[in-house]
Amino acid sequence: MLEQILNAALNGILLGGVLALLAFGLNLIFGVVKIIHMAYGQFVMLGLYLIYALTMQLHLPLVLSASIAVFAMAILGLLTQLLVIGPLLGAPRLNQLLALAGLIIVFENLAMVIWGADYRGIPLYLPILKIANFYIRGSCLFAFLGALITLGLLYLFLNKTYIGLAIRATAQDTEIVKLMGVNPRSVYFITLAAGGALTGIVAAFFTPIYTVHPHFGSSFTIMAFIIVVLGGMGNLLGGFIGAFIIGVVTSVSAVLTTTEVADIIALVIFILVMLVRPQGLLGTRGI
Amino acid sequence: MASLLDSKKGLISLILILACLILFPLFAPSPYLVHIITLIFIWSYVSTVWSYMGRFGLVSLGHGAFLGTGAYVTALLFNFLNLTPWIGMLIGASAAALFAAVLGYACFRFGIIGDYFALVTLAVGELVALSIIALRDITGGSLGFTLRSLGNSPLYFQFGGKAYFYYISLIFLLFALYLWKKIDKSKMQKALMAIGEDEVAASSVGVGIIKYKMAITITSASLTGIGGVLYAQYITYLNPHTLSGVGVSLAIPFKAILGGMFNLWGPTIGTAMILSLEEYIRVSYGTKFIGVSEVVYGLALITLIIFLPKGLYGTIVEVFRKKQKFKGTKGIH
Repeated sequence: MLEQILNAALNGILLGGVLALLAFGLNLIFGVVKIIHMAYGQFVMLGLYLIYALTMQLHLPLVLSASIAVFAMAILGLLTQLLVIGPLLGAPRLNQLLALAGLIIVFENLAMVIWGADYRGIPLYLPILKIANFYIRGSCLFAFLGALITLGLLYLFLNKTYIGLAIRATAQDTEIVKLMGVNPRSVYFITLAAGGALTGIVAAFFTPIYTVHPHFGSSFTIMAFIIVVLGGMGNLLGGFIGAFIIGVVTSVSAVLTTTEVADIIALVIFILVMLVRPQGLLGTRGI
Repeated sequence: MASLLDSKKGLISLILILACLILFPLFAPSPYLVHIITLIFIWSYVSTVWSYMGRFGLVSLGHGAFLGTGAYVTALLFNFLNLTPWIGMLIGASAAALFAAVLGYACFRFGIIGDYFALVTLAVGELVALSIIALRDITGGSLGFTLRSLGNSPLYFQFGGKAYFYYISLIFLLFALYLWKKIDKSKMQKALMAIGEDEVAASSVGVGIIKYKMAITITSASLTGIGGVLYAQYITYLNPHTLSGVGVSLAIPFKAILGGMFNLWGPTIGTAMILSLEEYIRVSYGTKFIGVSEVVYGLALITLIIFLPKGLYGTIVEVFRKKQKFKGTKGIH
């Protein structure tokens, strides 16, 4: 039993890496545009479908279709900013939230129209590794390493480039940044494109692990929310730590009980953090 | 129309509308129309009681929690203990109220407002849906369960015809609208208005923030629970995804906001608009391509939110008021 729990914890850490990447995009968008992207998980779902369609239906090589998906999701992010978020920037927050929730309906049913309700997946078999007494799925390890590398590159992008600096500055103060010659609107576009591209990358890493169906996204949106809140909204390091906590907690409790109870536990953590420490583990309060 | 109840002319037109609604099932061309209008009444009722909170800045994205609690408690009491839903409804509403009291106290005590309140309630709605699924031994899990059918037995809230539900849900909707007016005339309205504008300022002049917020939250939640019972009794089938969870929890504010949650008739008009749109699209496209109707519906919702931020009715009222003001200033000059 103990071994099982340890194995689950190890898998939770691996899952945490990918969740960290997923939450990073949501967090970045929240930090910069100050908007809660309700349809974020649905972006990942569309990315997975796109990779599936390009590989299985158009017979492109997997790496090429993954790159096309990343690019396409970035474009979708731009379109979301142009058509939905942009026109609502001055609107009440509830309207912004509901308009993005409307996107959930659009995306899920669009997938339903094009690909139907069946589970779709690319048959990719990565070996299962055995280290000491632990079993690790090769696909999870691959996703974990890929996510860490992407996060490292993102860190460099945000800290070492001019655009990264502009993004961070906009997150801190939209008004002052205008005086420094940065146009917040273009930063918003870049952020949404980056967030979109991230969902494409997450989709690429998810491809060997999951099969996709139209309602695939919603549980990941909620998971990403929980992580972002746990770490502190807009706090990128907090989100990184939060992802590993949630990854381990959910996979260990799924082994001990059922997956629904594991989700319930994650939600209870979310609610308690919201009540007692709404600024998150590392965040600072005040929106 | 906002002043419909105040002026004599308004009262007469209101009575006329009511008479039409009461006579409608007798002359309706098809039972389908009665069915759709019954659904409009039920969801108008729910979105109206949702707006009790929403219009004072207490935006709940988790009313599915109360809807589900009310419906499931009542239906389970009926299926397992044979308790009539007329009494079970009160127990279900009390359960929703108790739930809201715990949640509300926790939120208001810790000063959770705005976005944070919306997110906490969103999570609570999903929590209830997951709990219903996890308790699958008694609730039937994701598959839901059907109410025991007794045929036509009014004592057990089951009727032979659709028209009965039409009248019952109309009565509940009218009650919700009446209570809205009642709240508007009470001291509570002023207090909640002040709290909605600025909590700190309101508390500094001696407004009991927690007390009033709790009162409106519990009212809204228990009435929403009853709405869940109405829907479940009418459809006679309960499913965690149609009664609680994120989908329905977002659908309720959608209706209220698209109508205009700050106006008495807003939620009702929003519900009528959305349900008719949904049905129209479903009937005209639904049979050809599965999912296309929902895509169009989602796009329509987004477009409406972008172009009518105050809701359909809210926008009309505003335009009307501006015109009146314009006329007024003309008169002075």
